[in-house]
Order: sequence, then C-alpha cells, then structure tokens
Amino acid sequence: MKNLALLSLAVLASGLLSSAGAQTTIRINGYGGTDPAVVGDLINRFVKPAVAKDNITVVYQPLQGDYNQQLTTLLASGTAGDVFYVPAETLDGYVKTGKLLPLNGLVSTTPYIKTLNAAFTRNGRQYAIPKDFNTLTLVYNKDLFDEAGVPYPTNNETWTSLQQKLTTLKQKLGPDYYGLCLQPNWDRFGAFAFATGWPQFGPNGKTNLADPRFVEAFNWYTGLAKNKVGVTPSELSQDWTGGCLKTGKVAVATEGSWIVNFLRDNAPNLKFGSALLPKNPKTGQRGNFLYTVGWGVNANTKNRAAALKVLNALTSPQAQQYVLEQGLAIPSRSALTNSPYFKKNDPGAQVSRLVFEGADDGYVRAFTFGPQGQDWTKPINEALAAVLSGQRTAADALKKAQQDMATFQNR
Amino acid sequence: MFKRGFTVTAYLFLAPFLIAVAIFFFYAFGRALYYSFTNFDLFHPPQLIGLKPYRDVLADPFFQRALANSLVFALVTTTLQTVFALLMAVALNHRLRGMAFFRSAWYMPSITSSVVITLIFLWLFQRRGVANYLITQWQAYQPLILTFLGVFAAAQMVQVLWERARRLPVGWFDPALAAISALLALLVTWALNFTGVIGVREVPPFDYQYFADKWITLGGVKVLSIPLLVVIIQNTFTTVPTLMLFFLAGLQNIPRALYEAADIDGATPLQKLLRVTVPMLRPVTFYVVTVGLIGTMQMFDQVAVIGSAAPRETLITLAYYVYTNTFQAGAAPVNMACAAAIILALIILAMVFLQRRFFVAPEANS
Repeated sequence: MKNLALLSLAVLASGLLSSAGAQTTIRINGYGGTDPAVVGDLINRFVKPAVAKDNITVVYQPLQGDYNQQLTTLLASGTAGDVFYVPAETLDGYVKTGKLLPLNGLVSTTPYIKTLNAAFTRNGRQYAIPKDFNTLTLVYNKDLFDEAGVPYPTNNETWTSLQQKLTTLKQKLGPDYYGLCLQPNWDRFGAFAFATGWPQFGPNGKTNLADPRFVEAFNWYTGLAKNKVGVTPSELSQDWTGGCLKTGKVAVATEGSWIVNFLRDNAPNLKFGSALLPKNPKTGQRGNFLYTVGWGVNANTKNRAAALKVLNALTSPQAQQYVLEQGLAIPSRSALTNSPYFKKNDPGAQVSRLVFEGADDGYVRAFTFGPQGQDWTKPINEALAAVLSGQRTAADALKKAQQDMATFQNR
Repeated sequence: MFKRGFTVTAYLFLAPFLIAVAIFFFYAFGRALYYSFTNFDLFHPPQLIGLKPYRDVLADPFFQRALANSLVFALVTTTLQTVFALLMAVALNHRLRGMAFFRSAWYMPSITSSVVITLIFLWLFQRRGVANYLITQWQAYQPLILTFLGVFAAAQMVQVLWERARRLPVGWFDPALAAISALLALLVTWALNFTGVIGVREVPPFDYQYFADKWITLGGVKVLSIPLLVVIIQNTFTTVPTLMLFFLAGLQNIPRALYEAADIDGATPLQKLLRVTVPMLRPVTFYVVTVGLIGTMQMFDQVAVIGSAAPRETLITLAYYVYTNTFQAGAAPVNMACAAAIILALIILAMVFLQRRFFVAPEANS
C-alpha cells in the first residue's frame, strides 16, 4: 500500500516536472574506447553548467566499432546526434551528404589555429570546429644516442644532417640497431613529401607522383633503408613506429603525442626526447600532417540553437585548458601557446609543445585523402612497401604508382 | 481433398516465415534491383539513370579483380572441399574403436566461429608466425631428417629383399620390418650427429610475407594471390567437416551388397571407391557442390576479418566489394553496390543452372 502511494507520488512529480520546463536534450555522437570517460568528464565539468540555464541537457552516445560506418548509417536513417565528431580525413564524404551544417556566421572560428580551420573548410564553408589535433614529431631514444656518442636531434635538423647523425649512430652501434623507423605508408611519409612544397592535389584535382619534389622525398625516405639505417616496423615484428621505439633497437620514430602514454605503459624505463621534424634542405621548410577531429552540427537537428550553444561550451577556453592539462590531446585554440603546461620539463609536455608548434611551422596539411576516400593512398603505400622491402627500384615503383594513381583518379 | 479450414491453418502456420521472407528477401531484393538503375548514394532521393551503374561496375578494376578472385576462389575451394569431404567420410565410415571421438574431433573446425579461425590463421601466417617457424626448423634440421629418411628407406629395402630371397611373402610397407628400420635409422642419425658428421644447420629465419601483394601468375596473368591462397586453405579446413556429414549420411544409404559383389569380383579399395561409392553418391555430390559454390561465391567474413592486414586487391571478393561500396564515410556509391550484388546473384544462378543441366545424371534425378 505504502509502495503504491509512493509510486503514484513519483509519477505525479515527474509529470509536473516535465510540464514545468521544456527540457531540450542534445545528443552527441563520438568515438568509443576511452572517449566516453574523457568527454563525459568534460561535459559534466564544463558543458552542463554552461547550458543548464537554457534548460539544455547533454548526452554523449559513443559509437563503438567503425565510427565512420556507424555515423553514416545514423545520418542516412535520420537518427544521428545533434552534434557529432567529424574526422578531417573523411570530411569530403560527409560534405557530399548535405547533412553537415555550414558553421560560417554561426560560430566564431577566429580563436582556432588557422590550419585546423582550413582542414574543415571546403569551398569557403567551414563544416566543423576543430576539437583537438596532433602532428608528428621526432621522438628519440636518448640512451642510444648517448651510447653511440652522437648528439641528440635538434629542432634545426635538415634531412641531410639527420641522415648523417643516424648513419653514424648505426655505424657505432652495429647490425642490431637502427636509426629511423620507416612506416611504409602515406600517414608518415606524407609529412616528408609536404616538406618539399609538393601539393597533394594539383590545380585540376589530380595527384602528380612524377613531380620532382615528390620523387626527391620518396628517394630520401626509401634511401634510408639502404645500409639498414632505416628499418620497417614489420622487420621488428611491430606494426607502427612507436612499437619500433619500444623495442629499444631503433633510435628515432615519427609520431604524435599519443606515443607518450604508450611509452609510459609499455617501455617505462625508456628515456625519450623529442624534436621537430627535419627541414627539407632545398625549401628550408619542414612538412607535417594535421590529424584532427572536429565538432560538426547535424543539418537536420530540430534544436539548432541549443546544439550551437553546446558546441561553444565544448570548445570553451576553460574546457580546452582542462583537456591540455590532462595530457589527453592538444586542443585547438591558438591562445594556448602561452599555457604554462608547455613550459613544464617532463618529456610528455615537451612532445605536446612540439606537436603544438608543428601545427604552424612550414608546409602543414590536413591528413586527408581527397574526395575519393582512403583508396587514394594505395598506390603510394604499395610503392613504399615495394621499395623498402627491396622488391622494386624507386624509379620503377614510382612509375607504376603514377599509372595506378591516374587510373584511380579517372574512375 | 483438404477442407478450406485446413488451408487457412496451413497459411497461419506458414505466416511468420512468409512474412519474414517477403520483407527481408523479396522487398529487399526489389529495392536493390531498383537502386541498381538509379544514382542512389544513401542521402539523396534516387533518380533513374538507366544502365550506367552496371557500366561503371564492369569498368571498375576493383570489380574485375573481385570477380576473378571470387571465381578462382569458388572453383578451387569447392573442388578441394568436395574431394576432402568425400575422402574423410569414407575414412570415417569404417567401424573402428573410438570412432565417436574421431567423428567429433574432425567436426570441431566447423563449429568454431569462422572469425576465430581467421584470427588464428592470421597468427599462423604472420611474418614471424608458426608457418614460417616450421619452415625455418625444417631447413635447420634438414640434414638430420634427410639422413633419417634415407637410412630408413635403405634398411627397409634391404630387409624386404632379404625376406623375399628367403621366399617369405612380405609387402614393401610391412609394419614389423618398418619398426626395425626406423630404430636403425634413428640410431645411425644419432650416431652421426653425436660424432659431428652431420648436425643442425645455422639458417636465417625463413622470412616470407604471406599477406602481401604476391601472385601466382599464369602466362603473365595474375590468377591467385597468396593471401587468397591462405583463405582457401582456411575455408577448406572449416567447411570440409560439414560437407563430410552429408557424404557420411549418403554412405549409409549405399547397399552393402554392392560392396560384397565388388569384393567377389576382386575389386581393389580404390576401384570400390571410384566405381561404387562415387557413382552412388552422385545426388549428394550435387548437393554438396551446389552448397559449396553458393557459399564460396558469397564468402565475406574471412576477408572482412583479415581486412587491411593484406592489400585489398589480393583479397577482394564480390560480396566484400558490395560491402565496401555501401559502408563508407558519408555518401557512398550504393547504386554500384546494388548493381554488383545483382550481377553476383545472376552468376550464382547461372552456375547452379549449368550444373543442374550438365552435372546430374538422369538416374540421380529419378
């Protein structure tokens, strides 16, 4: 009897509550894995307090598994969240759907790093606000350089000077040790190709792999495999350059700030330092990739104003400072360059600072595949793999790659 | 004669199945057929554009590769699995002690999830995997193994010839003599190894990348990729036990009198297999081959699990081509996926039809 009375009271109360204030719920779709904990924390600390006065609540719904596939399905069936992650490398596919709200004039984009904004802009329309990003740095094993008596890589390294250091190191340490870990694919090699000033897509939208600048980068990168100064991850039974570093047999890897937590967990005794990527000797510039994810707004959302408020709260200065200090990612506001966190002396903070600086130094381009998707990288990856494993000569592999690329882009 | 009430009841019982088939098969098939003539990309209302999707699909090098891969895969795998299933069934049809154990043990690959088996195979055929390890070991121990085999063969031959010289009827593979030969070979090998005449060789680890862009070519044409060969081995391994069950059931229906008659005629085991078992199993074989062809033409899961571990060109099959054209990031060429799916359906239909037309003998149909 008592239970029944309580229950009816509760029903009555909930009915009153819902009629009292029209609550708007904004759903956010994002990655699974560790993101629900991280973003949930961010939402509870910064977003909910900021939008509570407008009667907005926020729910984070992670999409487990293949994010792009699931978001596509949700968008097609009209059940996607009001706000969602937009990976820069697949932006083109989403722009074509017409489900991404252009944010020009709706959100102020000026506080964010320019190259990051550019990564989410097509034909003058910006489709997402950068959430956070990463770039590549040289991460090196201090002990190996000390052992070989070679000075550490610096921020003023050129391709030539770095190659000299690595060659000396290899000579001193012998056959079981290597200078640089060479990933045979675009997502590492591309940064070096950009350093020559080579454009990923020409004015006609086509990719030219026969461009002397691309050839120069290709020859330098694959040339490191001669004399075994460079080594591919698979030769050490690893699948990425961070894994190479972990083995303690390779002096340098090219990775972003994600490597810090990996090394802390998998190689806690490894003393590592970091430096900016080397400059191309001819252009005097370095190249780099921007790996970035943005916040996009669903064009079909019924609560556009509320969604935009949530978007602003997610990228507020306080929220971004928090993300940075937790060592989770490098947030996207250019004002963070003065953050005291970057002046800390621990190697993790050092990597973060270089990743931040790398975003605005030299030929920095978004990590993207163009309108035809990820298959764009295939000819390049095949050429790199063929040359690094000694199956083809560089000239031969590049000729085939250019043919394959032309066929692919004419589809 | 059924009364009206019976028919209604029958349809009532059939209803759940009929409704499910109508929605998830006929409706879906109709939609796919419609989309294959439109410019549908998941997001914009489809407009009819005629045969263009089919032309695009046929001109797509990925589709051509997928078609070639699927056909090669279907033909090779179906042949292998049918032959092995038949041999296994014949072997398991004997009355032996512990037969129940062997029957369950041989059936294990089929009840294990194909995703799990694929992961195990990926691991076996890694660059530093078990397959390469075994080859390395074989190369290292080659002197010892070859010595053992050589001495064994020589000893066996001498013994058999000697026994025959004494007019004793012994076969070349007489087990008692083989045991003595093996013991002798072991002793000789051990002695040579101990004195240092032969020994384990120092060899570099055998380093073969199975999941790479490597092809078996025939006259310059890429026929079969090494990654696909691994999938063929794996698929045969997992499907043979199921197909074996069909053959085993078929074997029970062959009258023993036929074998007795063959025995009286003095038929060898091989002759009994080829002249009695195989012809009598023809209807079962038809079923097994049909199921095998359809299953292999639609193979998807094993390729999907291997995913990006191998270059896409080496593994892409028609079903995987349909999948990758549907599920992309954002707008996708779904019309091409539908066209490819329809083409796949037509090919399977044609295969089964041809097989029905030419393969099944009249007596099997009766």
